Amino acid sequence: MTFDPKAATRTPPKKVVFKVKRYNPETGKTWWDEYEIETYRGMTVLDALLKIKEELDHTIVLRYSCRMGVCGSCGMIINGMPRLACQTQIAEVATESNPVVTVEPLKNHPVVRDLLTDFTAFFEKHRSVKPYTIRKNIEERETGDMEYLMTPEEHEMLYEYTLCISCGLCYSACPVAASDKRFLGPQALAYVWRYVADPRDEAWRERLEEVDKDEGPWSCHYAASCSAVCPKMVDPAAAIQRLRSALVKYRMGMYKKRVAKKATRPEGQVKPKKPLPPEAQTLPGVDLEALEREPPVVPVEQLLA
Amino acid sequence: MAEKDGKVKVLENRPGWIASINPWVLKIINNPERTAFVLHRITGLLMALIIMAHIYVTGTPARVGWEAWAEEISKAHGITPVTLYFFFFAGIAWYHGLNGIRLLLTEFFGVCIGKPEKPKPPYEAPSLKACQRKLLYLVFLLWGVLWALTGYIVFFK
Repeated sequence: MTFDPKAATRTPPKKVVFKVKRYNPETGKTWWDEYEIETYRGMTVLDALLKIKEELDHTIVLRYSCRMGVCGSCGMIINGMPRLACQTQIAEVATESNPVVTVEPLKNHPVVRDLLTDFTAFFEKHRSVKPYTIRKNIEERETGDMEYLMTPEEHEMLYEYTLCISCGLCYSACPVAASDKRFLGPQALAYVWRYVADPRDEAWRERLEEVDKDEGPWSCHYAASCSAVCPKMVDPAAAIQRLRSALVKYRMGMYKKRVAKKATRPEGQVKPKKPLPPEAQTLPGVDLEALEREPPVVPVEQLLA
Repeated sequence: MAEKDGKVKVLENRPGWIASINPWVLKIINNPERTAFVLHRITGLLMALIIMAHIYVTGTPARVGWEAWAEEISKAHGITPVTLYFFFFAGIAWYHGLNGIRLLLTEFFGVCIGKPEKPKPPYEAPSLKACQRKLLYLVFLLWGVLWALTGYIVFFK
């Protein structure tokens, strides 16, 4: 999703009508409610929903946590597009000529109540692709004191995929996930590519074999809506095409991957210390090396007393 | 969570196959690829229908004889139902074929989808600004040009 840094500086319409899609699991009924609220500059859709909840209707149910686009809890469809409510400025979605904001629960996720969606199936899919580094030598991994080597170029190839916050917006935007429940979805498939591309992971053959099925990347038709709505620039659409291309090469016996080895340290050699940058120099009179050699004794009992 | 008749009522909220042919299910900004996807699906469905009609129509000589067939075809000049059918079929086939080539390049060979990069404002995904986007606009442009050219040949030549 493209980010407009000036959106927060714009003044939204003074009064905005919020159309909120409601769902009652007791009756199974769905309906729209309208609320008019007064806005202020910098107000987000989440702020507005919380204001509605506090002042107008306490029964609205939604999920949120960090309020700063990190936790990925407040995904919802705002004016027809999946967005994070905490990152969406009202000035971005409401205009003076049309001061109306519609808010719906994310599509393709079951709705528990109002704007609250159930992510159980989504996280099951995430879990099924084993989203963690797998090494054949478990002892080496568990007792390691050194890192696995990776070049900056290799790191850049997978870094953007590591930024995923599992907000589910990509899954909600996907037209394939809309019609096929079994489809793993952009988020899980991007994770598969993230680990296939990661030189520290040794299970790339198993991952490619596992994902080579109908509900894997073959179901994707490159509508690229997942990349267009991603709030973290993860680009799952490209990850899926790379994964599919890798699968074609793998089946033709042409896919090769470098697996990183662990860095080795010569016997007795101590890891050289990097000098502190100028802005992080210690105060005059403080000897860091002396403090490391002989840590000061902190009188905890005295402090507690 | 509330229960009724011993069952939890959770709303499925999945648009289903309609999401593949209705571009207005979601209003996603900066996503012409979705329009291309919807058009590809619609043209694919129409082509499947037209091919069935085509098989029936090309079986006409077996039913009515070659002379009647040749006579009917010789009338296909100017704007007639037959030439209109050719024109619409050409439009559908041009789009599906051209977009198919674009999809083959991006999906199977992974070309034109950009290179992963570190996020920086305005946080636009690399694949959305890669050359596949230019390829997509080229598909739309070529589609228009070739369709117009086909129309000229079908109606006026």
